[in-house]
Amino acid sequence: MRMSNFSYLVKRGVGSVFRNGMMSIASFSVLLVSLLLMGLGVLVAMDLNIVLSNIEERNEISVYVYGDVSDDVLNHITDALNANPNRLGVVFYSKEDAWADKQDEMPEMAELFEYLPENPMPHTFRVTVKDISRISETAEEFRTIEGVEKVTAPYDFASALVDIRNTLSVIAAAILVAMIFTSIIIVYNAIRSSVFARKKEINIMKVVGATNAFVKIPFFIEGMFIGVAAGGASWFVTKVTYEALIRLFEGDITIWRIFGLVNIVQFDDVMWYLLAANCILGAFLGAVGTIISTGKYVKV
Amino acid sequence: MVELKNVDVHYVDGAKGGVDALNDINIRVNDGEFVFIVGDSGAGKSTLLKLLTREIQPTGGRVFVNGYNLTKLRRRKLPYFRRSLGMIFQDFRLIPTLTVYENVAFVLRVIDKSKKYIRQRVPYVLDLVKLNDKAKAYPGQLSGGEQQRVAIARAFACDPKIIIADEPTGNIDPKLSYEIVELLQDINECGTTVIMVTHNHDLVKYFGGRIINLKEGSIAFDGYIEGE
Repeated sequence: MRMSNFSYLVKRGVGSVFRNGMMSIASFSVLLVSLLLMGLGVLVAMDLNIVLSNIEERNEISVYVYGDVSDDVLNHITDALNANPNRLGVVFYSKEDAWADKQDEMPEMAELFEYLPENPMPHTFRVTVKDISRISETAEEFRTIEGVEKVTAPYDFASALVDIRNTLSVIAAAILVAMIFTSIIIVYNAIRSSVFARKKEINIMKVVGATNAFVKIPFFIEGMFIGVAAGGASWFVTKVTYEALIRLFEGDITIWRIFGLVNIVQFDDVMWYLLAANCILGAFLGAVGTIISTGKYVKV
Repeated sequence: MVELKNVDVHYVDGAKGGVDALNDINIRVNDGEFVFIVGDSGAGKSTLLKLLTREIQPTGGRVFVNGYNLTKLRRRKLPYFRRSLGMIFQDFRLIPTLTVYENVAFVLRVIDKSKKYIRQRVPYVLDLVKLNDKAKAYPGQLSGGEQQRVAIARAFACDPKIIIADEPTGNIDPKLSYEIVELLQDINECGTTVIMVTHNHDLVKYFGGRIINLKEGSIAFDGYIEGE
């Protein structure tokens, strides 16, 4: 196809967006809301991930060692812990340090502690894990290491965290799928109404020998134009909303600390990715809506 | 050239069991001919035109138009076949949102002609139908006769081998009907085959020429008459 005729079709498609007034506004609005929810959803999910990761990093398995063990046994335990694929970090906490800390924590009991014949605290290893959902399994593996007396881990907390993350993922995915379907249906209706409004024109095109592609290009342009415009607008609304949310919390930094939100996602860091994703997704949804509606109603 | 060989068209109708729209039709129209197709309502004229534009397929027989075997024509080749035809309709079928110039240019864009060609061709065909001064007008601002002349210009713009006119005088002043047929005759003299379907017997008697009269799906008459 000649460039001049292609640009004519592009003009017809863009012109149709404005001629098709209310339906274009409806498609634009629904796409904007869908993409806004997706954009905010992604940002919140990233922040939530940071929160959960921070909490996860504080989740430790405590590995207690029998009272009198040789250095060889301690080395063996250290090696075995380090060899575990789920370990993130291993910190050795000697019985001497533990005893000193205990005495510092309870100065009122100092006199009583003097009567103890020997240091009652065990050597301990504190192990942070990579995958909190496998904490129970990892603790079980540590229990079988020779010289290990006891292993404790925050099983319930870990499983609650995993449940929260899974539930949120399912809810987010369900909302996303619902919004995608709604967007496609609305775009489909908008393009269909555009097809009906231009039925006469399409009929003339068919009679004079237009190919399917020639007939469909303006509708594609129309659908994708609405999609990209909604993508750009939703990006802007996402930016304003997200930055407003950040400002809302900025006054009270302790709230961030409580939730472990120290390195929160800054909009500027992801803005170009988000803009590209919004526009591509908008164009994609517009194109899918157009394919379905023109496939059914525009056939040469 | 148009050739129909033993063509039958049978419409399936559940309640009535079916309708024979055309029965064993044999027609040959040579290049450069001007043919009137006449007949009462329900005689099969519209079915015949639909066959010629490949809107429908015959239930029996074969249809050849401009070297295309329409009974075997693939769907993707259909647009290219239709480019060899010029269609004129009773209701003009102009795009109301486009000017006269744009309506004619539109079909040239559809068949992917260059900007330069469009700039040369559109004024030429508008001049042929004497509408150059109305190039910037919209169809709604024109009379029925003028709108049909735009439709003729549009049909002729693509330089088709055949022009098929379906009741082109049906919606216009009887006096202007003669002008429309004269215009089609002028185009025919340039070498374009013209097939015109009409109800208007006076018009046919006036101009004469080859007449095909359809009656209940069959050819009742195919021959030449003298004009008045």
